[in-house]
Amino acid sequence: MLKFLLRRAALTLPTFFALMFVTFVMIRLVPGDPIEVRRGERGISPERLAELRHAMGLDQPIWKQFLDYVWALIHGDFGTSIISKTPVAQEFLTLFPATVELSLCAMLFAVIIGIPAGIFAAVRRGSVYDQTLMGIALTGYSMPIFWWGLILILVMSNTLHLTPVSGRIDLIKYYFPPVTGFMLIDSLLSDQKGAFWDAVHHLILPTIVLGTVPLAVIARMTRSSMLEVLEEDYVRTARAKGLSTWRVVGLHALRNALIPVVTSIGLQVGTLLAGAVLTETIFSWPGVGSWLIHAIFRRDYPALQGGIMLIAIVVIIINLLLDLLSGFINPRIRHGR
Amino acid sequence: MKKRNTLAAALLLSTMLVAGAAQAKSLVYCAEGSPENFTPAMNTTGTSLDAARPVFNKLVQFVPGTTNVEPGLAEKYDVSADGKTVTFHLRKGVKFHSGVNGFTPTRDLTAEDVIWSFARQSDKNHPYAKVSGGAFDYWSDMGMPDLVESVTKGDDDLTVIMKLKEPNAPILANLAMDFATIQSAEYADFLMKKGMPEQFDQMPVGTGPFIFVNYQKDAVIRFKANPDYFGGKPKIDDLIYAITPDATARYAKMQAGECQVMGYPNPADLAAMAKDDKIDLMKQAGLNIGYLAFNTKKPPFDNIKVREALTLAIDRDAILKEVYQGSGIKAKNLIPPTIWSYDDATPDYSYDPEKAKALLKEAGVTTLDTDLWYMPVQRPYNPNGKRMAEMMQADLAKVGITAKLVTYEWGEYRKRLQAGEHQMGLLGWTGDNGDPDNFFFLLGCDGAREGGQNLSKWCNADFDADLKKARTLTDPAARTELYKKMQAIARKEIPQLTIAHSTVFEPVSKKVTGYKISPLGAHEFYNVDITE
Repeated sequence: MLKFLLRRAALTLPTFFALMFVTFVMIRLVPGDPIEVRRGERGISPERLAELRHAMGLDQPIWKQFLDYVWALIHGDFGTSIISKTPVAQEFLTLFPATVELSLCAMLFAVIIGIPAGIFAAVRRGSVYDQTLMGIALTGYSMPIFWWGLILILVMSNTLHLTPVSGRIDLIKYYFPPVTGFMLIDSLLSDQKGAFWDAVHHLILPTIVLGTVPLAVIARMTRSSMLEVLEEDYVRTARAKGLSTWRVVGLHALRNALIPVVTSIGLQVGTLLAGAVLTETIFSWPGVGSWLIHAIFRRDYPALQGGIMLIAIVVIIINLLLDLLSGFINPRIRHGR
Repeated sequence: MKKRNTLAAALLLSTMLVAGAAQAKSLVYCAEGSPENFTPAMNTTGTSLDAARPVFNKLVQFVPGTTNVEPGLAEKYDVSADGKTVTFHLRKGVKFHSGVNGFTPTRDLTAEDVIWSFARQSDKNHPYAKVSGGAFDYWSDMGMPDLVESVTKGDDDLTVIMKLKEPNAPILANLAMDFATIQSAEYADFLMKKGMPEQFDQMPVGTGPFIFVNYQKDAVIRFKANPDYFGGKPKIDDLIYAITPDATARYAKMQAGECQVMGYPNPADLAAMAKDDKIDLMKQAGLNIGYLAFNTKKPPFDNIKVREALTLAIDRDAILKEVYQGSGIKAKNLIPPTIWSYDDATPDYSYDPEKAKALLKEAGVTTLDTDLWYMPVQRPYNPNGKRMAEMMQADLAKVGITAKLVTYEWGEYRKRLQAGEHQMGLLGWTGDNGDPDNFFFLLGCDGAREGGQNLSKWCNADFDADLKKARTLTDPAARTELYKKMQAIARKEIPQLTIAHSTVFEPVSKKVTGYKISPLGAHEFYNVDITE
């Protein structure tokens, strides 16, 4: 098991360095530097520009800047945001719980609805249910997040008044300082009556919006994987033994059908973080997604670079864990066969 | 004993009921972004300045809703006869906020705080000069280093003497700007001793109407009313900034009653807002100008006749309708009509392609291939640079001028314009302090050098002499006369085509009273009240 883990970890290192290099060069290729973007109509004298660029090390050749960055990173320093002057790792840690909370809820929503829907569609293959479910899934997959979010706000919040528009909690009714950064936990810790349910209420729309694409992917994946497994000999044997359909599907087929689904959930983590960028902007959700968008607009190189590296670390770790989980479900993977 | 307990419980219950009846008044402002920090002197964006403003005061301040200057922390000020010394008499008994970040002030506001606040920006050896990056952009942009000789204590603790290198009339308007905020020297010492000076810019302590409570990055900023405020306690108890970056989401929050004031509405939502019976859509002529600069260093734009022909060839009414969608007024002067000294008598050029053709012929220009630069981004004074440039291109084609459209990335665009690479270029300006000088400097000779802000690269000796003279005068009437003369010169010489002043809209809930739109783009809540 340890060997397996080490082998997977060693494989991720080159990915990490390649990503670091590409990001570093790419963000510097975008026209406009942090100082010019900050100045607006006011303009800046060439002398002052040179002075500020020097202070930030932006006048060095890119390879030198890169080596300096790697050196600092090896020492655990992710840099300091040009805009807020706070360490990037600190900003990231403040904002990341909000993204994790939202992503976990969205993933939970996608799994809880997606897997049963996929199984049901596979078992009733070709029926009206199957076609309807897969039609909905395709629509969900093609839904532009921004549009979907605004439509839900318009209908659910402004017309039906069922959910709040945006934010994480009712700012007038509840106030408690963040402890963990997870609003669901903090609201429980706060002892303020109704705070937890209010936080849940605020999570509904962003969860649906962010969870829609993974939901569609998981449902379709589960269905096709299930269909394949249902054709297998051992399933036929199980049926022949006279086991009930749900016992055959739920016990014998599901475990094998889930292997590709678990892998696809791992791949969805990247999709979730990409979706979080838009979802967080629409729902004023203070997570790393909207933070990165701002870093791009303001050419905050350290925040952008550090943020991407930290997210990459998270994605790599999650995929590693999911690999382990697949190994647990399917021993063949574990033994490299 | 039991009876006494019951009595106590009854008393407690009734107190709670009374407290419940007099519920705290909260106002939520949907802000468009997060502040960089809470020290106005280090910020240039309206978002950051808005976030710090409730906490602080300046020596002098703008009367809400106007660009007129009134006393602030200084209850009065005198300017010496030679115009080179300004003496500020501070209010007595002005208290700094207590209890923020573990700080309890031991003294009231004195001259020391004023001197400290200005020294941080001007003195490179100041203990706080380098804290939090230490870039004091506005201080240098407003020309303060060349202007201020010294800021010292007067005869007593409540007198501050500011000595200038030369007389300067706009100085008071400058000091009403946010960069001239007065901060607590004692709080700075307190944090320096704790070894956490950077918290000075993150957890602000000021004298203002609201006390900073807490900031959660990208989510919310909370303030509470300052009961000891020298102007009296604000009418609302809690002021909450809900950070909502998307304009459509801000409007949705307004509709749902989740916030009561919002800034920067999406132009596409304005029509719906105007019809919304829960919302009062306030509007005011913006303190801005959108213009097309003719590079007078490049022939044939050095010829006034050509510049006049171009002015007559462009249909600005169509641009106002199409690009500004009616939310702007046609500009005939560089300054907007809300600024004093605006000359309403200036005749405007009207659209006349035939006369334009004749003028071009007179100037000996038969065919003209030129460029026309437009900015790649939306700005307050120009909602759509590209569309505007396309309309101008079509108008110019009608008089035989071929204009090639050019644009660059925003930072690059401004740099190249300032270097004078263009023949014609679109840009604009948003005023800082409502002083006419803050607009007219755009056409001064200092800015006509390469890299300067005068994009017409136009240097007129009379105009420049008046511009410089007006700065030294304190009498507004005398200054007005000079500015009117300058408007006449600009009208005749046409270094730029003034296009429009855009209108600023702010949706405010009908439950809110006392809110005023600031011509300077500030969002202020001191005088605001809310009804249930």
